[in-house]
Amino acid sequence: MSKEDFIIETQQLEKKYITDTVETTALAGVDLRIAKGEFVAVMGPSGCGKSTLLNILGLLDSPSGGSFRFLGQDISHASERQRAKIRKHNLGFVFQSFNLIDELTVEENIGLPLAYLGIPRAETEKRVKEAMERMGIAHRHAHFPQQLSGGQQQRVAIARATVSNPSLILADEPTGNLDSVHGREVMSLLSELNDAGTTVVMVTHSPSDAEYAHRIVNLFDGQIVTESLNARKHAAELL
Amino acid sequence: MIQNYFLIFWRNMARNKVYAAINIIGLAIGLASCILIYLYVQHELSYDTYFSKHERVYRVVNDLIVEDEVEKASVTHAALAPALAADFPEIEAAVRMINRGKQVLRLDDKAITIDYTFWADSNYFQIFDYRLLEGDPKTALLEPNSVVLSTDVATKFFGNSSDALFSTMRVGSQSYKVTGVFEPVDGAHMKPNVLTSFSTIPADIRQGMGGNWGNTNSYTYVLLQHASDGAALQAKLPDFVQSRIAPARGNTTERMELQLQALTDIHLNTDYLWEAFPVGKKSYIYIFSFVGVFILLIASINYMNLATARSAKRAKEVGLRKVVGANRSQLVTQFLSESVMLTLLAVLLALMLVELMLPTFNSLADKQISSTYFTDPDFLLLLLAIALFIGLVAGSYPALVLSHFKPVDILKTGKTQAGGGALLRKGLVVLQFTISLVLIIGTAVVYSQMHYLKSQDLGFTKEQVLVVDIPSGDTTIVSKMPVMKSELTKNPNITSATTSAMIPGQSTGVIIFNVERDKQMVEKTFNTIWVDYEFLDLMNIPLLAGRNFSKDMSTDLQYGIIVNESAARAMGWEEPIGKRIGGSDTTRAKVIGMVKDFNYTSLHNQIEPLVIMLGPENNGYLMARISPGNLEQTLAHVESTWRRLAPSHPMDYFFLDDSFNEQYRAEEKMLTIFGYFTLLTILIACMGLFGLAAFTAEQRTKEIGIRKVLGSSVTGIVVLLTKDFALLVCLAILIASPIAWYGMWHWLQDFAYRTPISAWVFIASGLVALGIAIFTVSFKATRAAMEDPVRALRTE
Repeated sequence: MSKEDFIIETQQLEKKYITDTVETTALAGVDLRIAKGEFVAVMGPSGCGKSTLLNILGLLDSPSGGSFRFLGQDISHASERQRAKIRKHNLGFVFQSFNLIDELTVEENIGLPLAYLGIPRAETEKRVKEAMERMGIAHRHAHFPQQLSGGQQQRVAIARATVSNPSLILADEPTGNLDSVHGREVMSLLSELNDAGTTVVMVTHSPSDAEYAHRIVNLFDGQIVTESLNARKHAAELL
Repeated sequence: MIQNYFLIFWRNMARNKVYAAINIIGLAIGLASCILIYLYVQHELSYDTYFSKHERVYRVVNDLIVEDEVEKASVTHAALAPALAADFPEIEAAVRMINRGKQVLRLDDKAITIDYTFWADSNYFQIFDYRLLEGDPKTALLEPNSVVLSTDVATKFFGNSSDALFSTMRVGSQSYKVTGVFEPVDGAHMKPNVLTSFSTIPADIRQGMGGNWGNTNSYTYVLLQHASDGAALQAKLPDFVQSRIAPARGNTTERMELQLQALTDIHLNTDYLWEAFPVGKKSYIYIFSFVGVFILLIASINYMNLATARSAKRAKEVGLRKVVGANRSQLVTQFLSESVMLTLLAVLLALMLVELMLPTFNSLADKQISSTYFTDPDFLLLLLAIALFIGLVAGSYPALVLSHFKPVDILKTGKTQAGGGALLRKGLVVLQFTISLVLIIGTAVVYSQMHYLKSQDLGFTKEQVLVVDIPSGDTTIVSKMPVMKSELTKNPNITSATTSAMIPGQSTGVIIFNVERDKQMVEKTFNTIWVDYEFLDLMNIPLLAGRNFSKDMSTDLQYGIIVNESAARAMGWEEPIGKRIGGSDTTRAKVIGMVKDFNYTSLHNQIEPLVIMLGPENNGYLMARISPGNLEQTLAHVESTWRRLAPSHPMDYFFLDDSFNEQYRAEEKMLTIFGYFTLLTILIACMGLFGLAAFTAEQRTKEIGIRKVLGSSVTGIVVLLTKDFALLVCLAILIASPIAWYGMWHWLQDFAYRTPISAWVFIASGLVALGIAIFTVSFKATRAAMEDPVRALRTE
């Protein structure tokens, strides 16, 4: 694979948290390459650095050391403004706790990224409508988050994450707050998005969720300890 | 995007109604108070600017200097205006006004006593260009026996002003033709109700007025060609006095200095005697301006405090917006625009409040401020600027704090660094309560001073004295006074009756006397009052030496003089009786008695030397001491006696204590307004405290839950939550006390008789503030403490 084929490349990525007395290493030299169109699951025990890694990959946090290239561009030292720009154009986030804005309706929540992109209103309406239909929540368009079930909220969150057609979706335990039925629904949606070409990086505790990924990266104490290809997924794709 | 901000703003408000109400109502009350104060201050500062030539108009006032005493008189000689106009080409016009006091105006059968009537020169309206609804301003006061009425007076007699023109009515004892009706101006230092033409005064009297320059009774105004001529003219006045006035005044040690006083300075910058109308006080302008700014500050602090305190609630939204691509400046814009939107809402509400409160405020402040400010573009622009400023300043801190949040922290842990700013919040609460306390203490001191003034022994008994105005210049009525007195005392409820030229609480006359000092005769000015034989007895003013005026001593009328203790002291008389004192003839005029000092002006001033002369013909007031009870019956007797003896004049009466206390009206007004604003300040500060208490309770939900699980009582929790706020208020008490003490000490210097500022004022004010604060906080704290602990823990 050529360099252009990778959406994410990290080398010796480090993250340290320094408090008055203690220095905690969250990531200790992570080398990770994720190809465009890949679905990667990051697993590991609590406190192993999964979420830290996801936050850095999502440009929500900056590394303490090492290099980080996003779409071939070194952004280890990018400014907050540059990072905000990359986030808005390329990234979509799905969180365990949905993180919808309570004061906005379903369609307003979904339309928010488009507002920051400066997309005209008519276009926004069209794309929001499509996203809601895709996620099966169009009938709930005028509801507020607290009026929806957890599964519905997460579908809104996914709709919001995908409405701007990002090249990468970062999902942090997307099924963590859902029952198994809704969890499976959400995983299917992510899988569909991936099938349509969107790269997905997902942090999860759940082996069954990880089954949806092409590749599983196992973290322990801030380092990648194993990486395995998901044979079933590959087999399914080959079929 | 703006639409999105607006939506979020609106829904946030709808969801957090209490917070929104605290912010908007608090800010609106603050703004409304501030607008009212602004209108008041603006009104005070713009006195006399109604007149189009105000920049070129000066009043000529008089400093009369004898030895080292300066008598500053707002009135000058009647001859001054024409003399100035003749001598100085830079004077375009000079006009005189002479106060005629109260006059009975009569149209057919209708007779009404009208105060503030003046003689005025024919060119009066050239300088004071009132709007004349009827008549020609150039000629209205030209002919003798012309009268110009204010619309108020015209309405009283004619129903409307157009019917008044060319009607004939009587003013006092003379007949006049109504030649004009003018619209009165509230913001003018002179507010005449009736102007009669100066030319009505018989020529010989007018000549006499110009004679020896000894009698000062005219307000003199000059209109200069150019506003810049003032200083040059002022420089020429000493020579003018020397060449024109001094020779006519003859041999006197009294020195006269004429001063030019800019028209617009008169209302607030004057300390001259014998002003026709009460003047304003600059210090009140400052005090009110400070209060206005403080109230606004307190309301803005509420917004800042609540917004930062509640930032944790908005943190998730901030995090999410950042995640989906918002940059910091967009977030700052969002929060600033929210805060400006809130301020604008508050402005709208404030304007409504102002409309509601203006009539009450006007009656409290004794002003006629109209709501025409709505059409004043300057005012609206200023208001908009203030709203923007408050919106931006109050919103800036929360905006910066909120936009600084790191999305990772918020979204993952739900926690923020919003704990920061707690110190600032505490500081701001202390500031709010310091300001509130200064106002509380200030109000308490003003109140106790007013109480002190009213309860002071004045040296005479002002209660139970009925005073009836004697129409000035009506010799028929004056001649009936002896009969009137004896008729009145026939009623058992009237113990004595007398007349006098002045009553306590009013300005006295000031006369230059030739006085014996160290066996030599020197010139000395004394405050002088003319009274009747029964005056001292009726007033309960004790004689310390000598005797009272007596009808048996025919010489008393011309040569008998009674002085007060201060006068004797000032002259260094150990034995005052028999000392020579008089006008031109001092061979026979002697001191026949000395009275104990009594407060004949007001407690603003120390008691000054006073000369009391007998002048039963020179009287303006009939006084009767009446017994308590049977007031109606007594009044009926006085009225029927009056009607019988003076049928041509309606009886105009009042009570001495009321009119004496009238002098403290400015302070009373201030006290009332000050009191209201203090209440508002505390209200706004407490609204903020309530919000913060709610926030703290919310923030400490988990702690409260755990403590309750571990066995804490409701009281324990309430104390826990209230303690911190109480400490802040205590700190505010410590800071506010010396500031308030200093401020009030200064204010009290304006009074010759002052209440001591007791420690109790501070203790009581502190306890009041503390009590209110604890009540506010514990209200919220109790609710938090009563919550089911399981719920508290679960929500965490």
